[in-house]
Amino acid sequence: MTTRGLVVLLALALALPAVVAAQDFPTRPINIVAPFPPGGQADLMARPTAAAMEKILKSPVVVVNKTGAAGAVGMAFVANSKPDGYNLLMALSSISIIPEADKLFDRKPAYTMDQFAPIALVSADPTILVCRSERPWKSVKELVEDAKKRPDEISYSSSGIYGTLHMAMEMLVHAAGIKLKHVPYGGAAPALTALLGGHVDCMAAGPAVVLPQVKAGKLRPLAGWGEKRIAVLPELPTLKELGYNAEFYIWAGMFAPKGTPEPIMKKLRDTVRAAMQDADFKTAMDKMETPIAYLDAPEFQKFWDNDAKMLADAIKRVGRIEEAK
Amino acid sequence: MIETLQNLGHGFAIALSPSVMVYAFAGCVIGTLVGMLPGVGPLAGISLLLPASYGLSATTAIVMLAGIYYGAMYGGSTTSILMRIPGEAASVMTCIDGYAMTRKGRAGPALAIAATGSYIAGTLSVVGLMLLAPPLAAFALSFGPPEYVALLLLGLMVLAYMSGGSVPKSLSMAALGLLLGMIGIDPMTGYSRFSYGVVELADGIGIVPVAVGLFGVSEILLTAGQAEMPQVIKPKLRDLLPSRDEWKDAVWPIGRGTVLGFLIGIIPGSAHIISSFVSYAVERRLSKHPERFGQGAVAGVAGPESANNSATSGALVPMLALGVPSGPIPAVMMAAMMVHGVSPGPMLIQQQPELFWGVIASMYVGNIVLLILNLPLVGVFVNLLRIPYPIMYPAILVFSVVGVYAVNGSVVDVWIMAAMGALGYLLRKFDFETAPIVLGVVLAPMLEMSLRQSLALSSGRYTVFVTRPIAATMLGIGLVLLLYSLRPLLAKGADWRRKLGLEGDSIAEKEENR
Repeated sequence: MTTRGLVVLLALALALPAVVAAQDFPTRPINIVAPFPPGGQADLMARPTAAAMEKILKSPVVVVNKTGAAGAVGMAFVANSKPDGYNLLMALSSISIIPEADKLFDRKPAYTMDQFAPIALVSADPTILVCRSERPWKSVKELVEDAKKRPDEISYSSSGIYGTLHMAMEMLVHAAGIKLKHVPYGGAAPALTALLGGHVDCMAAGPAVVLPQVKAGKLRPLAGWGEKRIAVLPELPTLKELGYNAEFYIWAGMFAPKGTPEPIMKKLRDTVRAAMQDADFKTAMDKMETPIAYLDAPEFQKFWDNDAKMLADAIKRVGRIEEAK
Repeated sequence: MIETLQNLGHGFAIALSPSVMVYAFAGCVIGTLVGMLPGVGPLAGISLLLPASYGLSATTAIVMLAGIYYGAMYGGSTTSILMRIPGEAASVMTCIDGYAMTRKGRAGPALAIAATGSYIAGTLSVVGLMLLAPPLAAFALSFGPPEYVALLLLGLMVLAYMSGGSVPKSLSMAALGLLLGMIGIDPMTGYSRFSYGVVELADGIGIVPVAVGLFGVSEILLTAGQAEMPQVIKPKLRDLLPSRDEWKDAVWPIGRGTVLGFLIGIIPGSAHIISSFVSYAVERRLSKHPERFGQGAVAGVAGPESANNSATSGALVPMLALGVPSGPIPAVMMAAMMVHGVSPGPMLIQQQPELFWGVIASMYVGNIVLLILNLPLVGVFVNLLRIPYPIMYPAILVFSVVGVYAVNGSVVDVWIMAAMGALGYLLRKFDFETAPIVLGVVLAPMLEMSLRQSLALSSGRYTVFVTRPIAATMLGIGLVLLLYSLRPLLAKGADWRRKLGLEGDSIAEKEENR
């Protein structure tokens, strides 16, 4: 046998396990990493998805909460794990924010977005603009007019600097050409607490979280960031309808590390597609009042690219915040 | 009132039904265990068990999770008292006098008092939760950033009363703690500070690895460094129960701890930790024998342990009454409700009476269960002290590493714990107290965030702190306390600390002060 023949044989022998692995994937439990703590949006989306996938694959799918640094720790973990389909990521919109923020501050990025291959979009809930019921504004127009009269006086709370809820407001502020006072908090929960306590005037928030407060008359919704109106508040106009070019979703999507073999990717995509039709999955999402917004990999990639670009622009507009102005 | 009793009766019917009882009991047991394991506290415990609650009904799930929360406050004292390792962050203050009691052979009474104090505080605070939830919740919401700043500054004033050592030493340790608390991403601008490219440090230094390192690991190192092996304490049966004097010393601290803990607990934030610090300081301030603190004062165990239990009920007030997540733990519990299709909001008590009253009733039951569970266990736990040090200390070290790792699944946290252990060893060799460091690490991020939020809201005007009545009142109290604590510094001879030559005062320092 020639040397070349030997090399080919060797290469074949080495490649063989990979092919076999793709055929009977999975042979061991799959981990879905939620980069936020249990009870957070990523975790709440990952658990029913994992349960439905488990039924379809007839093999364990485990949700692992790997938290830290606003999600960067968990996302970097998946980005750098072996692309064999056993470590997946349930990420939120913030996956596009962290690398941009790292760039802004000349930090060594924890991961880059091209380290991920999208599998599917699971949910995409537009944020809604809410203000305290005691405040005078009945519409976005009134708020904007007031803000133009007294720039930097109307305040809003957010989940944190460069956080998703900050970005949503930044898009509105930019589109309306107004200036608002930004007060960042350590997460969406304390930001909402501050709004309810009347310490700030308004905020962008996920509909499911603020709906009970809206129903109780504590908060007044003014508009939504979606392309379409949301099902639970059909009277609520979208910002686009009102003429403000701002679109933002708190979305959750599943990713694999880039370089995962195509057959495994296909199997994962098929599994997630089927999981979205699962009755238990639908019930779980219904209870959380989060509409399913399934998109398969190619469409999700397009959605993601567009979303990431809007976020990158918003971050650049905010820029570095200079102290002691 | 009659309506309340009717509702409560209805709640008991739910809480005492076997299917709910089982989960209340399970929650209490898990909570006790989670509290005992060094590092792992109620937040980690609830987070880990949240997915397991998805299969239950909303009421059962909340009953169980609440059980873990207050159960952890019972368990947390055990390792603090026996081994000087805070089982969870709110038990840091218990380490000081609880462990001192153990060294004097009074581990049994310390544990019994902690359990009884927890029971009384737990039960009374549920009464408060039941009767006062809606009006108090509204008050809690009025706490904006300026009020927090005032409260946290008041918390820093506590420092002066926290340690037996010299005031400059305490203050320098608190400053070190505050500096450590500055590590991480600047919350207002997004700049990284002192994180040197370590991604895990972006969130700042966790309170758990710092507390376990400074208290537990340093204690192990100090013991290992002693020329003579310390005597293994062999507890006698009659030493298990507190004496009449010890009970008498515990009564008022338990009462004050209950009220303090509940009030501080209502205010959104990491309340149960701060409540234990404040309670310790108050007890020391009011005590007729402040010199006993640090040497095994009963009040130093009874007060903080009651306060942290009572704070758990307080923390549930804004959540149940208004649907406001008043801290990380209630936030997780709210997620549990949402998973079950219950939207926590201001209408919760009206719309879900069986959930509200069921949870309230289950807390009465749960506290009794915990008392029954914990008192007999005192005997078992105390006997752990019979284990020879060469076996027990390595085992504790292993548990500490596992516990600290389990909180975030982060090796960086384990390294922080190790570094803090070494630092704690050095500092204690030089007679520095380590508790103020922990206080600093707890307070710094909150204080910074609130201060800068206040200034953002007021467009940089510092007057915001004096024009708001609650903030101004608290700042006024803080100022009085500060002047009061400075008095002995100004009139040196009058300082009881030096007069009595307490534990923190090295001889060299006394020379200096002459």
